Amino acid sequence: MLLKKIKKLLFDFIFPNIGLYRQIYKFFYKFFILGNTICNIKSETKFIQGDDMAELRQIAFYGKGGIGKSTTSQNTLAAMCHYYGQKILIVGCDPKADSTRLILHEKAQSTIMQLASEAGTVEDLELEDVCKPGADEFHPDNEEITEGYIMCTESGGPEPGVGCAGRGVITAINFLEEEGAYDDELDFVSYDVLGDVVCGGFAMPIREGKAQEIYIVMSGEMMAMYAANNISKGILKYANTGGVRLAGLVCNARMTDKEYDLAKNLATQIGTQMIHFVPRSNHVQRAELRRMTVVEFSPSSEQAMEYKELARKIIANDLKVIPNPLEMDDLENLLMEFGLDEEVEEDAIGKKAEEA
Amino acid sequence: MFICGYHFPASEGNDVAFDKVIEKVEEGVDASGKTVTLMSETREGVVLESIEVPAGTFAHTAFVDYFENTEIPTKEDTKMVYYTNKYQISEISKTVDGDATKDLCKKLDDMNLYRVKVA
Repeated sequence: MLLKKIKKLLFDFIFPNIGLYRQIYKFFYKFFILGNTICNIKSETKFIQGDDMAELRQIAFYGKGGIGKSTTSQNTLAAMCHYYGQKILIVGCDPKADSTRLILHEKAQSTIMQLASEAGTVEDLELEDVCKPGADEFHPDNEEITEGYIMCTESGGPEPGVGCAGRGVITAINFLEEEGAYDDELDFVSYDVLGDVVCGGFAMPIREGKAQEIYIVMSGEMMAMYAANNISKGILKYANTGGVRLAGLVCNARMTDKEYDLAKNLATQIGTQMIHFVPRSNHVQRAELRRMTVVEFSPSSEQAMEYKELARKIIANDLKVIPNPLEMDDLENLLMEFGLDEEVEEDAIGKKAEEA
Repeated sequence: MFICGYHFPASEGNDVAFDKVIEKVEEGVDASGKTVTLMSETREGVVLESIEVPAGTFAHTAFVDYFENTEIPTKEDTKMVYYTNKYQISEISKTVDGDATKDLCKKLDDMNLYRVKVA
């Protein structure tokens, strides 16, 4: 990594960073790096097996759309950085590009796909163009509160209704790897992935073995639990060929009846843990309106403490399992057992409340 | 996995026996002679009631342990209780404390925020 940086500085000095010279510089720079990479395959392999790379943990937050994945992931990662000094790279894998806005204090970060389209191709981009340091305390140069930092990037995707969004994810991750974004100084790479894994493109971080530990954000509602179970099926499919494992369910509570029991029992039945129950709080929305995480907005609030506890658990977590997803009937039985006060009789299905 | 704030290694699986949790909770705390009071409040911060946790129960020991060993800033001599922990304490207490904490556990299962005070 250091050698790569020295080479880049040397080229920056020899070639001015403008016009034709820039293209020549990029051509030779890429040629030089490619040649060097081929020559060093053996030593790179050894490096990957060494202690330094073993410390980098690649995690992913999956869950049903609208469940609060991006909010939960950003608040949790912010807590990991703020309270525990973790160095993190966020790779947003959602076409709406909202996985980094609270860390950057921005509306939405320019995505890799967007910038590539403006520049011509993804090869025309530099890492600095797409990977931005977090704002204020999350900036690498700001060590007042924490030694940790958060770098942010968004894959982006096509316009709604056009093309495959998963391709953006694939292109982005490959680009980041080639450009050396997965720095050996990092403690965590975190992927924030849209929806469930029905679309193969969004399963890419699992399929390609990029994300090693998956946290599913869910709640005690039927569809959130259905999606959590579906994601477990996706993990199961690729667990034996890659190293991907389910690391836990995060219950982003809707504060419905018996929600803890539901989430806990679903977790137990699919072979994992309900790692933390995050209560609903107006602080989250207040912070979001200021484009901030709760940890920054109100670091001593109860909600910030909840995220701190979740952060502590994720850092210390070692329960990573191959899940055992439920059949649809079993899922419904679970809802009957823990989610509803009364069992619904067969003849009540389809009837209005006053009729039943 | 994590129960009552304690980490149980992955080798113990995802369904750790309550006995092991109780052992761990009791290990690092002397709860005898201490009074544990819980204060409940709504999400909007409206204080609802104060409840004294019966001494000699697992719930009593667990809340003393929580108060003394959890890194949370103290606010007017109280500490907020993580929702996860209150549900876990309630779950175990229902099994091992029986009628002594029946009413308390019913309350702990609600959606209110609880603060704990140990004197």
